[in-house]
Amino acid sequence: MEIEIKNENVSNSVLEGDGIYFSYDNGYDVFENINIRADTGKFVAIIGPSGIGKSTLLRILGGFLKPDKGIVKVMGKILHEPIPEVALIHQSIVTFPWMDAQENVMLSMKTKDISRDEMEAKAKESLSRVGLDGFEDLYPKEMSGGMRQRVAIARAFAADPYVFLMDEPFAHLDELTAEGLRQDIYNILFSGETPLKSVIMVSHNLTEVLELADEIYILNNIPATVVGKVEVTMPRPRNPRSDNFNANLDMLYSYLTPPRKKK
Amino acid sequence: MPAITLITLAVLATVARVIGLIILSIITGWFLAYASIKSKFFENIYIILIEIFESVPVITFFPIVLIIFITRIGGTLGVELAADFLVFTAVVWNIWMGEYQAFKTVPREMVEVVENSRFGLFSKLRYLYIPFSVPRITANLFPSVSDGFFYITVSEVFEVGIHTYQTFGIGSVLDTFVADGQLFNIEMALLIMGIAIVAIIIILREFSKYAVGRYTLDTDAPVMKRGRLNLKETTRVFAVLSKNPLTRLARYYKYREGDNHEETYEKKEKKQKRYKYIYAVIGVILLISILYEAISLITSVKLSEYEILIGKTPSLLIGLGYDYLRVGTILLVSMIIAIFLGYYLAVNRRAEKYGIPLIQSLSAYPAPIYFPFLFILTEPFIFSIFGVYTNELYVLSLGFISTFYYVFYSFWMGVKAMPSEYWEITRNLKLGYFRKMRKVVIPSTFPYLISGISSTINSAWGGLMIGEYWPAIYGTHSLTVKTGLMKTIDIATATGDIALAAWGSLIFGIIVAVYSILFTRKMMDLAQKKYVAEEGVYAA
Ligand SMILES: Nc1ncnc2c1ncn2[C@@H]1O[C@H](COP(=O)(O)OP(=O)(O)OP(=O)(O)O)[C@@H](O)[C@H]1O
Ligand SMILES: [Mg+2]
Repeated sequence: MEIEIKNENVSNSVLEGDGIYFSYDNGYDVFENINIRADTGKFVAIIGPSGIGKSTLLRILGGFLKPDKGIVKVMGKILHEPIPEVALIHQSIVTFPWMDAQENVMLSMKTKDISRDEMEAKAKESLSRVGLDGFEDLYPKEMSGGMRQRVAIARAFAADPYVFLMDEPFAHLDELTAEGLRQDIYNILFSGETPLKSVIMVSHNLTEVLELADEIYILNNIPATVVGKVEVTMPRPRNPRSDNFNANLDMLYSYLTPPRKKK
Repeated sequence: MPAITLITLAVLATVARVIGLIILSIITGWFLAYASIKSKFFENIYIILIEIFESVPVITFFPIVLIIFITRIGGTLGVELAADFLVFTAVVWNIWMGEYQAFKTVPREMVEVVENSRFGLFSKLRYLYIPFSVPRITANLFPSVSDGFFYITVSEVFEVGIHTYQTFGIGSVLDTFVADGQLFNIEMALLIMGIAIVAIIIILREFSKYAVGRYTLDTDAPVMKRGRLNLKETTRVFAVLSKNPLTRLARYYKYREGDNHEETYEKKEKKQKRYKYIYAVIGVILLISILYEAISLITSVKLSEYEILIGKTPSLLIGLGYDYLRVGTILLVSMIIAIFLGYYLAVNRRAEKYGIPLIQSLSAYPAPIYFPFLFILTEPFIFSIFGVYTNELYVLSLGFISTFYYVFYSFWMGVKAMPSEYWEITRNLKLGYFRKMRKVVIPSTFPYLISGISSTINSAWGGLMIGEYWPAIYGTHSLTVKTGLMKTIDIATATGDIALAAWGSLIFGIIVAVYSILFTRKMMDLAQKKYVAEEGVYAA
């Protein structure tokens, strides 16, 4: 569906979660009043101890899970269910074994009103963006984990989303590919060539977070709340070996204490 | 028409019937499975019905079904549909249950990917659910094909009272050959049927290899289980039933909000809600129509007739007792042979390479077709040894033939699935053959054995149903036992005493269903403990 960006709308928020509460069916309370917001042109990172609810939060922000209370808004409209404009890239690698790389990528265009030729061209382009030129007819079983994750990322690209929700997207990649892809995603964010406006990324890799993010949300406690929000103002490109970078890194580490149970 | 053409056409007709019904089961199963993952209400009705029907050998209800088809529809079509219905009920539960299990176990992440692109019902099925279910369906194809052939050949010719009904196929063609004593044609028919079966088995094996290679996830091992043993799912169904609505309601009141007037994204969900109601309505219609058939059958019998039926009940129960003894014997023999042979084949690659396809072909070759010839060839010899027990022995053999495969195959799969560490342990400890069996092999294949046993019991009843009363099995020879509930039902059908046949089937159905549900319950409790342990991890 078409979404119009109203100029008179002062807010330039692309995606926001307001006052989110959530518990799983077994009664486990995951969140208590989470507020999070990603603005146009911003790279947002979420960090927090394992099991705190980062993947769950991404699912809520993508409309895959319904919060018990609170709302998620995309471009100012309330989100009730997943839409292609908000693309989720999973923590575990998700490829469909019965389709080759190109068909896997085309999956995210199937519901769009475009011809098959166009789809194929676009799938090729997406694949080459993640460095899989010439691997179009390989099946997932013939690929390494890192290649498969790149197929999943290419599939998300091909949907032309406004927002990427990325759950540890680079954890399965070798450092070289990961670095290339990080830069690529970051450049696309500001190129203006695609509709992509913002990225929300979950990561355990604090160096990676500090290299990329404009804003960092820190989740902790049970049920989880946002215990800290850090604006990263270091100029780019950021050098992970600089003193300033390391000072920031130390500050981030100090936030990651083991979760405490409230109540 | 030359006999050879006739035979070939008849074999093709029978094969087409079985394959067609299997395909019908597969296609309907996809939609029903999808309906049950979308609607809890539908799921609960669906699964309970499958469990009940799967636990009752439908062949015992065949007479009643037959009457319904012949009186309501009638003619050639009625007979054809009756035969098809019998085969359908023999193959369908496995396949439906397998598809349901496959749909239930599609990884959440894959579902999220197709949801992310807002796939509709047909696209979801086409790109995700159907391909995902292929390995599970393939695993269920072998038993379904065997079951299908077993029943098709007996259902192509049947007698009710003075009427003989038949529909074209190898079963009915053979029947005429036998009646006329055309020995050469009989041999030709058996041969051509054999060729068809072997061809089908080869195609199935190739397809199965291909399907496993192409459609399984990297982490997913193909599991061969005849449907029913997924108790965990059932447990889950009950757990959700008992707990979920309350927590949901509580949460609803806790977080209730006023109306929201903000602009929202177009909802696809409203349409899905409507689907949910449709599924629920289908479920209710199913239930009501089954109840209606049952009640109309019950009320169609006069009160005085019920008195007679109740008077006969004790002797029916005694017959059932005998039949349980027979089933027990068949099971025991099958298990012993399956364990030794299955183990041997599982550890000997060369023997396995030829042994498994051979056993598969033998099991798919419908016993009712060749059994009469086996009988007539061996009877004089067997009689000279066993005397009055000769018939009993043949009935047990027929039960064994129709059932052995399931125990064998489950056990063999179990041995194949044993972790390699177990083998290393047995080698380290230098265990002897019997200790290895007792301490390692049998315990670790236990779940497979159990699942084999429950399907075995089912097929054993089918074998008894055919064997306990087989008039004119060959020429003037008849096969019959002294006492047995299956025999009583058979005779009642043949003499047109439908009330007695139905009553016998009903008693049988209730007892078998109660037994197997109790059995299932026990297993379920076991599984539930496991389930709770897993849940505890989340809560901690
Ligand atoms: N389907 C579910 N039902 C019940 N509880 C769940 C479910 N999925 C996750 N949880 C629980 O919710 C909590 C948050 O899980 P989540 O996967 O969001 O954590 P995470 O922060 O992404 O962890 P990690 O860093 O290890 O990926 C965990 O305690 C987990 O056990
Ligand atoms: Mg996670």
